[in-house]
Amino acid sequence: MKQNMNLKIDGVEKNILAEVIDKKIWFKLNGEVYSYDLVELSQSSHAQSKIKSKSPDKIMSPMPGKMTKVFVKEGQAVVKGDPLIVMEAMKMEYTLKSDIDSTVEKVLVEVGQQVSLGHLLVQLKAEVKK
Amino acid sequence: MKQIRRVAIANRGEVAVRIIRACEELGIETVLLHSDADIQTRAYRLATKTICIGPATTALSYLNIEANINGALAAGADAVHPGFGFLSENADFAEQCEKAGLIFIGPSSDAIRKLGDKVSFKNLAKKANLPLIPGYEGENQSVDVLLTEVEKIGLPVIVKAAAGGGGRGMKLIRVMADAKDLIESAQREAKSAFGSSTVFLEKYLEQAKHIEFQIFADSTGHVVHLFDRECSVQRRHQKIIEEATSPSLTDDLRRRMGEVACTIAALGKYKSAGTVEFLLQDGQFYLLEVNTRLQVEHPVTEEVLGIDLVKMQILTAQGSFVFDSKDVRIPRGHSIECRVYAENPYLGGVPSTGKLGLVQWPEGPRRRYEYGFESGDTITSHYDPMIAKVIVWDENRPRAIQKMIRTLKDSTVFGVDTNIPYLIEILNHPEFQSGKMTTRFIETYFAEALKAPAEDAQIKKWAQQIYKNLKSGGATVASSVNESISPWSSFWRGV
Repeated sequence: MKQNMNLKIDGVEKNILAEVIDKKIWFKLNGEVYSYDLVELSQSSHAQSKIKSKSPDKIMSPMPGKMTKVFVKEGQAVVKGDPLIVMEAMKMEYTLKSDIDSTVEKVLVEVGQQVSLGHLLVQLKAEVKK
Repeated sequence: MKQIRRVAIANRGEVAVRIIRACEELGIETVLLHSDADIQTRAYRLATKTICIGPATTALSYLNIEANINGALAAGADAVHPGFGFLSENADFAEQCEKAGLIFIGPSSDAIRKLGDKVSFKNLAKKANLPLIPGYEGENQSVDVLLTEVEKIGLPVIVKAAAGGGGRGMKLIRVMADAKDLIESAQREAKSAFGSSTVFLEKYLEQAKHIEFQIFADSTGHVVHLFDRECSVQRRHQKIIEEATSPSLTDDLRRRMGEVACTIAALGKYKSAGTVEFLLQDGQFYLLEVNTRLQVEHPVTEEVLGIDLVKMQILTAQGSFVFDSKDVRIPRGHSIECRVYAENPYLGGVPSTGKLGLVQWPEGPRRRYEYGFESGDTITSHYDPMIAKVIVWDENRPRAIQKMIRTLKDSTVFGVDTNIPYLIEILNHPEFQSGKMTTRFIETYFAEALKAPAEDAQIKKWAQQIYKNLKSGGATVASSVNESISPWSSFWRGV
């Protein structure tokens, strides 16, 4: 349900249009649309959970889609820039590449598989410089 | 002349809505041929009749010739409008319609084969000595042969779907090492989007502008061009912002390119609306392809000329549209179209899916919206993630740009991320504003994902306030917003 509310922060009063859709709050402020996870807002700010993994050894699906090509096998060595996976969403292909020199530890998907956003596709093991 | 009474629409989304309106204004009934994933859409709600022709998978519904024809016949339609994309440039579909006694609203199957098939188009253009880009369009589609041809043409080389358009199945080869993967990927995309894996190769022009001419042939086959559009702002060969007319054509270029466009259309015995695409570099122009259909960006042409191309198509199909030789068409002012996609601009355009919440498109003079989804509808991952096309018109280009920026800022979409911040960045870019942008504009200036605004503590405070307010049952809620919120409120607020 969308709601229109008068709120005040640090003496500034605004009328804000907000709506909760699928566990997210959407609102418009100064001409920009923002969305926040309800979970994130209910937690104290320093105990925030980061949904997106930033570690380069975890290749996660950046969107819901289908695997069209898997280039690597477990145990295979890859260098930075090597293509790992080709996935398709909304009829466009996206190639996921490795950001690091590493060894493929695990391939968790196969061609044809449908995955959701954030699904772990490939686990890499960063090369240890000797 | 055969009066059309009921048009079957072999398409979805905003173009289906566009066709429904044009038909209704002409007193014609409509039948929407839809997949079972498209019941909760605007076109479904607006069509006179609807028939489900298959599941979400396009190969079984929107790309299925037999299902579309059976649906059209079962609904008692006497004509079919294919829209754009899907079967719109499929000569077999046009031919099957003709055989089934259905009027195909567009060119004849023969004209689609001659001009729409890129190989045959090139042969036709070659014979007539029209300017073409060096390339390979042979029948041998083995990867080895294609690789040899890439070397012959010289990098960079572009791989394209022979049956396609709109960027699908298109790949750019810059280094030989990537060539094999890119060719194979293009073949797969071509197969899944158009049902044919045939690709062809072409020299890639580094600093070219994409200019296209709207052509139209009336019921008698008389071809005219309805001026040009500039579509240089493309990402992965998919147009994002289109304009009419191009800011970079001199009168002389416009005249010469227009003549070439009409010549090729006449050679293909064209009928109805079509687009002749060119690349323009260093004052030289090259024929790129002919799109034998209505174009996504047709509204900008309609805006500068004050015409309705879809109605013209329908009337031409029933044999009752003839150009008046006394009618002088002169474009007035400037029009811009922005494609609003459901995607996250801060993650490099990753598609965003979900249920649409509040959606507001601000009213005002010469602002136009073409959309297929409304509040409560869901943007799925089955199809193109376009939410809407926003079109504005103003007296000149700088004013049209300012109007577009204002319009986008006043537009609101809750429920899915949109590329609106990305579009505004582009519109504000000095090279875009100068009108000098080339097809490399996006990869040059917007190769990386848009930089996400730093997490603003103040914004977060507001979010937490809103959350508290909602959680407390809205004790301080001023008012619940009426469903039919007046779009004027946001328009005036924006002034």
